[in-house]
Amino acid sequence: MSHHSRRDFLTHSARIGGALALAQMGGLAPFAAETPPAMAIAKWAGDPIADADSTALASMAVKLTEQALEAVGGMGRFVKKGDVVWIKPNMAWDRPPELAGNTNPDVVATLVKLCLNAGAKTVKVGDNPCVAAQKAYATSGIEAAAKNAGAEIIYLDENRFRKMALNGEYLSEWEVYPEIVETDLVINCPIAKHHGITQATLCMKNYMGVVGGRRNAWHQALPACLTDITRFMKPQLCVLDAVRILTGNGPQSSQLEDVARKDTVAVSADILALESFGVELLGDRPEARDIVAKAAAAGLGNPDYKALNPRELAVT
Amino acid sequence: MSLGRPRSWGPWIRRCVQIACLALFILLFVNTRFREHVEPDASSHIFFHLDPLILAGTFLASYAVPVAALLALVTLAATLLFGRIFCGWICPLGTINHFVGWLRNRVRGIPDAPARWSPWQRTKYYLLIVLLVMAAFGINWIGVFDPIALLYRSMTTAVWPALQYAVEDGSTYVYQADPHIGPVHATRVTEPVYRFFRDHIFLAPRQAFLGGGLILALFAGIVLLNLVQPRFWCRYLCPAGALLGLFARRPLLLRLARRDEDCNQCGRCTIGCQGLAAPGHGNPWMAAECFACWNCVSTCNFQALRFTIEPPFRKRPVAGLDLGRRATLGAAVGGLAGLFAFRLSPQAQARAYHPGLIRPPGAREEHEFLQRCIHCGLCMKVCPTNGLQPTTFEAGLEGVWTPRLVPKIGYCQYECNLCGLTCPTEAIQPLPIEEKKRVRIGLATIDTTRCIPYAYERNCIVCEEHCPAPGKAIYAVDTEITTRDGRKIIVKQPHVDPNKCIGCGICETKCPFADRAAIRVTSANETRHPGNQPILVGIGDLEGTAQQGYGGAAAEQTGVSPYVNPYGQQ
Repeated sequence: MSHHSRRDFLTHSARIGGALALAQMGGLAPFAAETPPAMAIAKWAGDPIADADSTALASMAVKLTEQALEAVGGMGRFVKKGDVVWIKPNMAWDRPPELAGNTNPDVVATLVKLCLNAGAKTVKVGDNPCVAAQKAYATSGIEAAAKNAGAEIIYLDENRFRKMALNGEYLSEWEVYPEIVETDLVINCPIAKHHGITQATLCMKNYMGVVGGRRNAWHQALPACLTDITRFMKPQLCVLDAVRILTGNGPQSSQLEDVARKDTVAVSADILALESFGVELLGDRPEARDIVAKAAAAGLGNPDYKALNPRELAVT
Repeated sequence: MSLGRPRSWGPWIRRCVQIACLALFILLFVNTRFREHVEPDASSHIFFHLDPLILAGTFLASYAVPVAALLALVTLAATLLFGRIFCGWICPLGTINHFVGWLRNRVRGIPDAPARWSPWQRTKYYLLIVLLVMAAFGINWIGVFDPIALLYRSMTTAVWPALQYAVEDGSTYVYQADPHIGPVHATRVTEPVYRFFRDHIFLAPRQAFLGGGLILALFAGIVLLNLVQPRFWCRYLCPAGALLGLFARRPLLLRLARRDEDCNQCGRCTIGCQGLAAPGHGNPWMAAECFACWNCVSTCNFQALRFTIEPPFRKRPVAGLDLGRRATLGAAVGGLAGLFAFRLSPQAQARAYHPGLIRPPGAREEHEFLQRCIHCGLCMKVCPTNGLQPTTFEAGLEGVWTPRLVPKIGYCQYECNLCGLTCPTEAIQPLPIEEKKRVRIGLATIDTTRCIPYAYERNCIVCEEHCPAPGKAIYAVDTEITTRDGRKIIVKQPHVDPNKCIGCGICETKCPFADRAAIRVTSANETRHPGNQPILVGIGDLEGTAQQGYGGAAAEQTGVSPYVNPYGQQ
């Protein structure tokens, strides 16, 4: 397992910071070109790894995550020294990693390490699951992996949600978990999955795990509700885990035949770019496009991810 | 009036043991909760297995007890040798009663006149006879009165939730209102207190139970009876104490040695006596009522009383236990009457099935289940979703406070078999997880007059999203409907596949309707009752029935057998 060393991080930060500073001075176009892309897609190009080879799969997930992050300028571009970071994986279901119901634990653990290496004071990992939290946290493997990587595991306390003004088009207020919004950075880190209504559950739907209340009612108007919560959350960094994806019976299945391997991790500062990349990955269904279109109309990002010139990495 | 300085260390040793046992009981209670990766161990059963009444009742009713329950024979042996030391030293309910009675005497003052033995103390023996007669005919109502089961049930469903409610909602109220003077917020105090309780005392999400108020009221009643007389419950009512009393009429080793020449008949020993066992001058010692608490010995100013260990052949005068032939017979007849009263309902005769009586997975066939269940509430305590609730009358009076799943409150977690693993009498069988997943406890039904895509022209599908069954028991069909303004739109309408539905109820829990869900689970199709299976599951496509026979290829495919419970029980 390769580590993103502190020295790497310092060099990178210096380079990027310098580049940005120079670019801002104006008239230095050649330097501005060094600004890292807003999006990167890391795909495994090494020897195929068997589903059963969990060690190799884990090290692949680590490499994919590290290199994708590095390609968008390193975690230091998003995390400042002393920051408190909340990593919001999909950790909603009582499903082991093989069944692709939750974010890959190695992807989450790598993000934790990268944040800590980038100087984060605390990295918190938590979700508002759809089943008993202790089951979902443990079975997903994320609790153990993230804790091991140095994160603080937070069990959301149902008594500590607070009504907040979303000021959305549709939702004026809703119960949100204060500890999440009080952090300096929320890294939205879902797994790409099929879903019965939207056909795809990705970054935007992952935000359903920061709210409480009768959130199930959102399913009657998902594009509008997800647009409102996304606007409220002001996404800065999204990481899409597509090491495994769920192709049917989503958002949680108990059959291996619904799981496919894509061996991919994609990172973007633009949530809609990543969202539409994920929609494509899951078969490009119109229901999923509706959500992205609604959010794009609200000006939350650029769904034409190819226009962002994402850096495509072949990781070995 | 003070009883003066103690003349013996006996009471102090006894108090230490009592406190230790009560602390152990509470510690085990708190630790018996859902913990991922921690299999429940037998420690949570210690007090149940030490209790001979539970052993006797469960054995009489079902002729089957877990091996560990034989631990109660140790209690019986100890009682034969030393009398009711279980009541005086071990029983946590006894300790609570003892403490409240002591508190009463501290506040009100110790009565001047010694309380005499009362014939009403026989009540507990008659109650025991009623319960044992019923048990012999297959009705296990032991747990309703058994002190360990009663205390556990009351703690689980009432005392603990009430405590947690008070701490959590109190501090949550402060948190939400956030009162402050300038930069000084009240939450600076309340939040650390709240977090301390949450992280070190409660350790699990708060539970709430239907009918918990009644259980709390009964428990409070038992505790408050100590204000009438200390240890009221233990003296007059406790059937476990009665059972031990039968074995303690003439302890083989323990003797209360009285030196009448030193006694000035002051009566202090009788005033301090916890069991009204007539330790003092004039009457023979009633060993069957004595808790061996050592109070009499320690309060005697002249050391006229001593507990001694003597060989069985050294006899000293002991009062016999005369229950009266007529009254004993009457109690037995009372037990029979209770038996018939319980069995009169159509449900008890398996002529009808209560739709709301969804038993936890692994629960035996209803009669057998009730023969073993001791109404203790352990399964409800460990249920991670709070879905297991005490019945009131869904299982008849016979099955009051037994567990049932109430899916609107909580569902049966697909990857969980804790209730079966923790049941002290295996009324709920300890099924391996893979087997448990194949047990049907009910069947979901869609109420199309409420279900949103049927009745209100929009999508929802929350039920389908949450369904954990392999391949999903709930599926959505794209259906064209005509809206109010005449437009044709497509909505996804959910349907239930009875071949796949196991009745876990997560659909009902998660349905956006918070009052009455639009998809509801009833006990229909439960594996344990062939008589309650309206749908021939496992036959798949009806056209293929002739070739496949019931439970053919389709049954193999789903892993769910149509009729037969996978563990051989009907």
